[in-house]
Amino acid sequence: MKMKHMSRYYIRLLLILLISAPLFAQDNENELPQDSTAFKEKYGLRFGIDLSRLGRTAFDSDYSGFEINADYRLTKRLYVAGELGFEDKTTSTYFLDSNAKGSYFKAGVDFNLYRNWLGMQNMIFSGLRTGIGSFSQTRERYTIYDANNQTWGEVSNDESIEYSGLTAAWVELLFGVKTELFNNLFLGLNVQLKVRIADTDINNFENIYIPGFGRTYDSTKIGTGFSYTLSYLLPIYKKGPKKKKNVGEEQPTDN
Amino acid sequence: MKRILFLGLILFLPACEPDDICSDSTQTTSPLVIEFFNIENLSDTKTVPGLFAIGLDVNGNEVVVDGEVVSSRNKIALPLDVSQNQTQFKLYQNYSVADGIVQGNPDTITITYTSESVYVSKACGYKNVFTIQSFEIQSDLDLWMIVSSIAINEVANENETHVEILH
Repeated sequence: MKMKHMSRYYIRLLLILLISAPLFAQDNENELPQDSTAFKEKYGLRFGIDLSRLGRTAFDSDYSGFEINADYRLTKRLYVAGELGFEDKTTSTYFLDSNAKGSYFKAGVDFNLYRNWLGMQNMIFSGLRTGIGSFSQTRERYTIYDANNQTWGEVSNDESIEYSGLTAAWVELLFGVKTELFNNLFLGLNVQLKVRIADTDINNFENIYIPGFGRTYDSTKIGTGFSYTLSYLLPIYKKGPKKKKNVGEEQPTDN
Repeated sequence: MKRILFLGLILFLPACEPDDICSDSTQTTSPLVIEFFNIENLSDTKTVPGLFAIGLDVNGNEVVVDGEVVSSRNKIALPLDVSQNQTQFKLYQNYSVADGIVQGNPDTITITYTSESVYVSKACGYKNVFTIQSFEIQSDLDLWMIVSSIAINEVANENETHVEILH
């Protein structure tokens, strides 16, 4: 903790120097108009796509998926956020081949934990989502698991059965970063920790993969995921800090 | 601090995936378990000396039962053919091979059954559960098995005895 205070102190010092440096040069000039120096932050709608799902679609023959995401800035730190996507995933083991496909929707909030320097709009955030998925699952093939099959041989069944009209619901905890690459264009990475709340039971089968949630586990209701997003901010309005401060004051960007 | 906690939580999670391997302790397709009892005292099990099983395929050809060795015991587990609804075995008493000639007393049993695929788990997939329809001892001149009875019709658990034979 001491280190943190120290680094914060240096950052403040650096900022003060940086901000006040031009002022020394301007000593002889007229006073700056008060308003022009109060920095206003952009508020708006940011929308984007998940690059990791596109990449996986290109390189993984068992997978295709697409996700668009959007967030809207409510306050200085709080954003409402959501994702909409589609996934088609084939899961194969020696004993079982199955396919799941369907769409999903996630909605929730992102909270920016990062205190930006003036003029920057980066995020280190944690978020919360609830997700729902609507999908179908097809059992494509299975080989009966029989430890004693050396005598009579293995038996497989290629009869494909589709289970449709399945649904699932889950909650997610997100943690990630968003960096502004160019003006209003952001690159983001986030990891998700998910807990399955409910999913449709299938008679004599189960949900192996749930679009939006990912693969399921026998031992736990927990799932994981990650996204690599590219998004664009459509600024709607600008808002500054409540009390406008003169640059000449020794008050850096503690917002 | 919060951030570190978060990261720790996420890194810890995908550590191991027990779902990928079907463990030996999982009950999958069960063999048929036959237990031998004493005809003179029905509550006592009775050891069959030199018991040995040979499978018979649909054409009556002999098939080596995997893992089967000659031994004196009062219980035998026989794999049923999942692709058929009937399996035959020759059960030998006092089995031995001398100079290439098989010695012993073979009795032929025929099990008929229905099959059902039952989902187990992601790693194991499906197992087969048999329901015994009939169990017959084919008559010959020198039978060592006298009476058989089906104890449990559903062959789903290898720790249970499905058929009892008196001798």
